[in-house]
Amino acid sequence: MVASRLNALLNACLPVVFAIFVMGFVWEVAVAFGEVPQYVLPSPSGIIAAAVQRFPQIADGLWITTFEALAGFAVGSVIGLALACLFLLVPPTRALLLPLVVALNNVPSIAFVPLALLWFGMGPASKIAIAALAVSFAVLLAALEGFSRTEDGQVNLLRSFGANRLAILWRLRLPAAMPSIITGLRIGLARSTIAVIVAEMLGAYKGIGQIVYRATAEMDSLTVWSAILVSSATSLALYGLLVLIDRRLVWWQ
Amino acid sequence: MKRHLPLAHPATALVMATCAWLVLVPLLGVPPRYLPSLGRVVADAISVWPELLNSFLRTLSEAVLGFLAGAALGIAFGVAFARSRVLERSVLPLFIALQSVPVIAFGAVVVIWFGNSLLSKVMIALYLSFFPVAVSTLRGLQAIDEKRVALFLSFGANRMQVFWRLALPTALPSIFTGLKLAVSLSLIGAIVGEWFGDTVGLGVMLLQALYFEQVERIWVLIVVCGLLGTLLYGLLAFIERKYVWWRPA
Repeated sequence: MVASRLNALLNACLPVVFAIFVMGFVWEVAVAFGEVPQYVLPSPSGIIAAAVQRFPQIADGLWITTFEALAGFAVGSVIGLALACLFLLVPPTRALLLPLVVALNNVPSIAFVPLALLWFGMGPASKIAIAALAVSFAVLLAALEGFSRTEDGQVNLLRSFGANRLAILWRLRLPAAMPSIITGLRIGLARSTIAVIVAEMLGAYKGIGQIVYRATAEMDSLTVWSAILVSSATSLALYGLLVLIDRRLVWWQ
Repeated sequence: MKRHLPLAHPATALVMATCAWLVLVPLLGVPPRYLPSLGRVVADAISVWPELLNSFLRTLSEAVLGFLAGAALGIAFGVAFARSRVLERSVLPLFIALQSVPVIAFGAVVVIWFGNSLLSKVMIALYLSFFPVAVSTLRGLQAIDEKRVALFLSFGANRMQVFWRLALPTALPSIFTGLKLAVSLSLIGAIVGEWFGDTVGLGVMLLQALYFEQVERIWVLIVVCGLLGTLLYGLLAFIERKYVWWRPA
């Protein structure tokens, strides 16, 4: 059992590792033979060396960024789910608030970044707010879609057994909506990292976005690339974690 | 039958949001630092009208050009993935994972490469809109019933005919899902791309409004960005309703 799982994991990972390796090799060779100047495109080995050398500084920023993204993700998913449940349990709130949500959702969330900075300052609070905003819409809309997937017959059956709205929500609608909610969470996690980094570019004391923005202004391309490398690796790890959670949480699919 | 997400009509949403803004701000006494009254925001919009229009058109063209290029490239890659198993197994997981990478950070690099031109924003918008289209194209193409392909082949259809008459129509609803995701991402790419240095554009105006702490101007820009996003999304949804009315079986 364990061996076969490990085998499947290896089977899925090997081609990807191979592709990364090939890309890195082509990149390295192209930079070396094309004599590309460093500010245009540093070589992968140079970037890795720079990342190792600047690791304390980048890790410091990365820690802040990850914290802000995860906190925003948590706050946003709770708000999104709570709103979705509220809309379902108290239909008038849905009629009243959903148009507002739709209108706000059409605004690219990054347009709110200046506002968040003015309201919440340069610290982590403004980044968490922006991430929460971006995440809550994704989760809310996904949850509403998932809730609408339950069939009326099933609802009626539960109701005929005397289940109230809360019980129907907990025992039928929530499990049925889970795959859709998980998709929303996954989109939300990606959005929250991007939102946090973008917000940090406009104003922050610390963070990956701030490192990238400052290094761009200083034309320090090695730092830009090593920050990108480290943050990409982290998002990949987060993404993998979410895929794993997905398999654990939705075993009935 | 899959039920549609019963969303409110965009026009109703707009009217209701406007009403809420008009009524709630004076009623609750919201301080202008958070949300100025609609009248002041409109007045501010009128005072910068020519610049606003210029910026709107500039950001619009960046987003649209980037979206079109990204969509074309994404569909091409999606088709290639559907054709080649090796490519799909090695590169596709990278693509899916790359979607969660803060691609925005590459914006800095792109601007170093292409300079402060329209092209660099188009490239960022392209990069952002490319992934969802590629992935949704592949998903759509993979959903094709093998029996139908066999039926087509038994009637003597060649590969091109199978693609144009069966595969593409089956995949189109899924492709449109990706396109709708991509169009909002391309707008984000265009706006953020302008932050790395430019003189015209909604992103530039946002940055200036932040530096001068002009809350009214920020709200003007939020509304304009929202209108732009709605316009692009609405256009795509309209095309989808008109020309891709069938649903996947």
